[in-house]
Amino acid sequence: MEAAVFQGHHNFRERVVMATLHGRPIKITKIRSTDLNPGLRDHEVSFLRLIEAVTNGSKIEISYTGTTVIYHPGIIVGGQLKHQCPSGTTVGYYVEGMLYLAPFSKNKFSIVFTGISNSSSGPGIDAIKWGMLPMMEKFGVRDIAIHILKRGSAPQGGAEVHLVCNTLLKLPLTLHITEPPKFSAIRGVAYSTRVSPSMVNRMIDAARNVLRPTGVDVNITADVWRGEHAGLSPGWGMTLVAESKKGWRLTSENVGTAGSLPEDLGEKSALELLYRLQHNAVVAGDQVPLTFIFMCLGSADIGRLVLHRDQIDERLVLLLRDIKEVFDIEVVFKDEGETMMAMVKGRGDTSAAKKIQGF
Amino acid sequence: MEGAQANKAHRQGSTRKPAKAKLHQNGHNAKAFAVSAPGKLQRQAARSGEIKERALHVPMVDRTPEDDPPPVIIAVVGPPGTGKTTLIKSLVRHLTKTTLTEVKGPITVVSGKRRRVTFMEVANDLNSMIDAAKIADLVLLLIDGNFGLEMETMEFLNIAQHHGMPRVLGVATHLDLFKSASSLRTAKKRLKHRLWTEVYQGAKLFYLSGVLNGRYPDRETLNLSRFISVMKFRPLKWRNEHPYLLADRVTDLTHPQVIAQNRKCDRTVAVYGYLHGTPLAFEDAPVHIAGAGDFIVSQVEKLPDPCPTPHYEQKLEEIERERIKAAAESGEPIAKTTRRRKRLDDKQKIIYAPMSDVGGLLMDKDAVYIDVGTEAFSKDNVDAGEGEKMVTDLQDATKSMAERFEDDPGLQLFTDGTTLQHEEVQENSEKQGLLDEVEQAEILHNTGRTKLRKPKMIGKKITDDVEFDEVESGDEDIEIESNQMAVDLGERYKEDELEFAEDSEIEDDNTVIAQRLRGRETKTWNINKLLYSSISPGEVLQRWKGLEVEEDIEENDEVFFKKKAIDEDFKLSKSEFPELEILRSLFCQVGDDDDLPENGYQSLKNRFLIAPKLAENDGEDDTEAENVDGDFEDLEADENEDSDLKGGEAEEDQTNNNDDFADFDEEERKAEMEEPPVLTTDQKRQLAAEKKAKLKLQFEEEEEQDFGADDFSNEADNWYEFQKAKMAKQLEINKAELEAMDPTTRLKIEGYRAGSYVKLVFKDVPCEFIENLSPEYPIVVGGLLPTEMRFGVMNSRIRRHRWHKKILKSSDPLILSLGWRRFQTLPIYTTSDSRTRNRMLKYTPEHAYCFASFYGPLVAPNTPFIGFNILDEKNTTGSFRVAATGIIQDLNSSVEIVKKLKLVGYPYKIFRNTAFIKDMFSNALEVAKFEGAQIKTVSGIRGEIKRALSKPEGHFRATFEDKILMSDTIFLKTWYPVKIKHFYNPVTSLLMSNKGEWQGMRLTGQIRRDQNIETPLREDSSYKPIERKERHFGPLKVPRTLKAQLPFKAQIVEKKPRKRETYMAKRAVVLSGEEKKARDLLEKIESIKREKESKRKSKSQEKSKEKLKELAKKAEFRKEKEMERKKEYFQRAGKRENSQKNGGGGKRQKR
Repeated sequence: MEAAVFQGHHNFRERVVMATLHGRPIKITKIRSTDLNPGLRDHEVSFLRLIEAVTNGSKIEISYTGTTVIYHPGIIVGGQLKHQCPSGTTVGYYVEGMLYLAPFSKNKFSIVFTGISNSSSGPGIDAIKWGMLPMMEKFGVRDIAIHILKRGSAPQGGAEVHLVCNTLLKLPLTLHITEPPKFSAIRGVAYSTRVSPSMVNRMIDAARNVLRPTGVDVNITADVWRGEHAGLSPGWGMTLVAESKKGWRLTSENVGTAGSLPEDLGEKSALELLYRLQHNAVVAGDQVPLTFIFMCLGSADIGRLVLHRDQIDERLVLLLRDIKEVFDIEVVFKDEGETMMAMVKGRGDTSAAKKIQGF
Repeated sequence: MEGAQANKAHRQGSTRKPAKAKLHQNGHNAKAFAVSAPGKLQRQAARSGEIKERALHVPMVDRTPEDDPPPVIIAVVGPPGTGKTTLIKSLVRHLTKTTLTEVKGPITVVSGKRRRVTFMEVANDLNSMIDAAKIADLVLLLIDGNFGLEMETMEFLNIAQHHGMPRVLGVATHLDLFKSASSLRTAKKRLKHRLWTEVYQGAKLFYLSGVLNGRYPDRETLNLSRFISVMKFRPLKWRNEHPYLLADRVTDLTHPQVIAQNRKCDRTVAVYGYLHGTPLAFEDAPVHIAGAGDFIVSQVEKLPDPCPTPHYEQKLEEIERERIKAAAESGEPIAKTTRRRKRLDDKQKIIYAPMSDVGGLLMDKDAVYIDVGTEAFSKDNVDAGEGEKMVTDLQDATKSMAERFEDDPGLQLFTDGTTLQHEEVQENSEKQGLLDEVEQAEILHNTGRTKLRKPKMIGKKITDDVEFDEVESGDEDIEIESNQMAVDLGERYKEDELEFAEDSEIEDDNTVIAQRLRGRETKTWNINKLLYSSISPGEVLQRWKGLEVEEDIEENDEVFFKKKAIDEDFKLSKSEFPELEILRSLFCQVGDDDDLPENGYQSLKNRFLIAPKLAENDGEDDTEAENVDGDFEDLEADENEDSDLKGGEAEEDQTNNNDDFADFDEEERKAEMEEPPVLTTDQKRQLAAEKKAKLKLQFEEEEEQDFGADDFSNEADNWYEFQKAKMAKQLEINKAELEAMDPTTRLKIEGYRAGSYVKLVFKDVPCEFIENLSPEYPIVVGGLLPTEMRFGVMNSRIRRHRWHKKILKSSDPLILSLGWRRFQTLPIYTTSDSRTRNRMLKYTPEHAYCFASFYGPLVAPNTPFIGFNILDEKNTTGSFRVAATGIIQDLNSSVEIVKKLKLVGYPYKIFRNTAFIKDMFSNALEVAKFEGAQIKTVSGIRGEIKRALSKPEGHFRATFEDKILMSDTIFLKTWYPVKIKHFYNPVTSLLMSNKGEWQGMRLTGQIRRDQNIETPLREDSSYKPIERKERHFGPLKVPRTLKAQLPFKAQIVEKKPRKRETYMAKRAVVLSGEEKKARDLLEKIESIKREKESKRKSKSQEKSKEKLKELAKKAEFRKEKEMERKKEYFQRAGKRENSQKNGGGGKRQKR
């Protein structure tokens, strides 16, 4: 098959994941070629290693400078693995990437990641657990779980996260979301590792103050970790999730930095959640690529997803172009005033990895 | 005489009541209320249930379009001389009143109002049969009734079965050769039953008698064609997932000059045909041409249907009529209307067979010849039909495109209002002829816009106004499009008005465009047009949102490559969220007015599902937390009052207030105290009703329309129905959404739909494809999924076909028909050793499945395949050629297969439990690799390899659980990995001049035979008779000292050796002369007697053997006779019985 050629470091993970799902070789050139520190970052290389581990027969060629990568995908086999994540980004960066692949694997996924659970440099594990997994359920991935065995904050980390996916899909279900859902509750987790538990309560109070006027049920859990389960560095943060009764989730997350006030963080998280609700319809942030990619993998029917007008941004345009490059699938938007309806016709071929039982 | 006749005394009538009276004993008819046949009802129910269940199939989406489906492919299969051609000729003659002179290539014929059929004669070679089995919807299996089922028929049935099994209709011919009716009847019956075992019980078998005027009798043909025309087809899995096409016309588009320069140059080839299966991708669709190889479709064009159904034409007419009507209303002169057709008339019975000589259209290798008819034909014939007009238009090669458009709007006759104008454009470009193809090819490379029109420029020519959305579809389209615009609107609208047409889709409906053009005031960009253009994402958004008027787009677009370079460095401008201060200001909650638009909470109200607030003073006073609480309390109070209204809701509200639980009770009390005295019962009721309504509304709101779940749950009573309804609903959505798109977008999203007649252009096709083209062999173009473009190892379950004479050998080449492809590969047969390892098998087992792993292009699991050892005619013997059948289980890039390896060694020094072993390894390194490995002696003593010995290289020390013997042999059982050879050899039969003679890699045995090489036979491997030497043991010797110590009982009794000589020993007997002679004579007589006896014995044995044989023969004969007698007897008895039962007996009684 002809290789898809990309330039630049954007959507690196999505590109690799899409190539793996589709079985199309990709070539990415000019990765940070004008940067003072050119080439792939540690976490990207580590991600490639992880991909190599969960697939069978994939070939990765990285140029000497690291600015060019050629990737020939193999077949997703999954299995039980351990992955040590470098400190550049969070565990979530890898977990999220694996979420794309896990349902289309030959064997069940069970990977233990060690590294940083929450940090401002990558997606936090709570946001994935509470925001992404319910999303996947919409596509028929029901038996998937993330267990946070240990938490660990930046820079030293020490977190341990276990991803288990027992669902092996042939085709994700076709999505038809024609109206933005209404959210009926806001839940959240405020955690702290190796700092005073009072920080957590202060965050919760501040967030609750902001969220109270919305009139919905607000329930934020304090999650204080102690001892060896609390990782190696002090840290605290908050993840808020707006829930609809049908299982849609919008999240916002923030991580405390040195010198900042927990009240500010709580308020900021809450405000960001409200802002997200205002400017996103059904899916937001990291959920968007997952949704679109899964829709592309679906049966050869038209799936529909409603988006807020503001959601069509540079990131999305870039993503859709990448999708087209790999899958040859174009997304069509229908203008519906405040919202935009995205229509995706799925690729419709069953996952190659799926095996049938012997006699 | 006494006279008195002694009459028989009157017999007393029975006192017993008759049966009928008995039944009525108790006042009613007992039989009416009794169970006449116990269990009958149950049996009936069970049977009907079974029938119902058997009718159920796994629900599958049928993706063939309903309104204009592709023609049904009917493959006519049979051994030579069974009348395939005659059958096609008769059917075609019946359906179209056309007599074919030759049957070459697919013949498409209109067979009904909504149905077309494509007949395809399948040649009698395996390659054609395989390809036909993959695409045929219906197989007419011709059987020589006089002969019965032949090997080819059986082979075809097996092939068809493993490619999804199309519908099979048996047709028995040559039935006129039977002399007697009874033998005909038995032959028919025999045939029918044989077919039933092969296809399914109750499969339909048609009988065709003799040939009249080179056709089968009209009545029989009619019956067959009726049967065909009402037949329904179930979607088959493979075909429901792939696009495919049966080529009915092939043209070489290579420039003649290029061919003249090099005859063997790669060709550009156009393949025409109806699309089947799923839609074909819009561009760069990968396909496999069976027998030629993999190709990428470099260009697709949808052509007007050469064989439209009457239904489709009627629809076109309706559209035409409406247009005329509309034109009449707007004051234009009324054109002549075409009359509505009610019945298929002869003109609609169209036949399309470009490869056969039919309808004046003859296809040759390099050209298409059109018979323009006699002198009665005139070019300007007004009454000419559509087809005729099109043909005459084809001749007008001198006219330019624009002229043709202006002169002859009749060219649109093939197209309908909305979709086909575009197609027509493509069609025209196709008509430009061979020379233009080169230019077109150039144009094709030149996709993407080179120049963007500057908006809002006045006084430019229309042709310069390149529409933004048209850019991607290539330059020639643009030009034509603009031409068309000029024709359509040129006079009526000013050119500057046209400038606003950025966004308008190509629609032929003049009025619509006009309205759009007039109505458009502001310029907005369509996001869909921008999304995949080459401008940077940021700019896309800017244009779409209309934020900034682009300063100089043209320049931006000209420096396309520079743009990309910037693209690479491009930074996603900002984080999703604004700064905290801005956020705070967006959602300020202290003392601001709700009506202000910037209040975030206000705008968010419709994003939340909040419990309804019923009290009058409710408002949206969310400013103070306490106030909020108060509101909820009111609600809570109400809720408690009639909590039976909606328990769940009340609960939810309760959770809402969790955070302020402290003063909740107090507030509630307050509320309760306040409310009750004020309201009257009427008021209360009204309030309750209001609340009920509100809650109901909320409940409905809450239940988002979840697709599928609630729509059908009421209607569908079971899972099956539910699934079917779901699929139908999804198809409906697909249709609705696709129809809402404009044609270009739709084409991009959906691709070319099944049922459309397309021209596929391929580049770099081997010249043999064209040079050796023969229309008798089907050209099947099958679309490939992305997985199918990759190579890897497939693990499959395989079984040698039980009719195949030989077992299959591991890594001997096998030709597989898997997916669209036919290829030769080297499978390795394996078995699973209790699921711990895959062990290689040298040969396939006799009557069981085994696994096979082979290398090749991947195909999704669960795909069945079929394997052959030979395909070519030359090597074909009379035996069954299908070698193996199987199914793909699993795809992988590598597979672990092991072969058993036994290493043998011998002890040379034995201590107690330790022994030194030699001859197993050749050096210490090898020993080191196996340290700790389990070893075993032949007698079963287990042991372990300990360490290599330093001195004799390869010897080692081992320990055992017991002392071993020097004569023992030591085994080490290991597994040796077997690698799969990456061998893939596609069958390129279509490129051969003699299509049936494709030969791949030969089998090992074949090579040996051809090269006269003996099969290597190792001395060790051959089986020899086991020779066991009698072992002689020496006498037991017990030492004297031991003997002395033995107890009395165990004393060994030994005779003393005799001291004196015996009497006989002392004397020597010497025979005298006479005696000697007598003895000699006697001996001789004895030997003669013995000889005689043995001879007699052998003779008598022979005789008795013969006698036995004869007896057996006789017994068999007797048995047969007996059976015949019995059969005859019972037949007669049965008939007698029947005739007795039926009273009078039928006329059949004669026999």
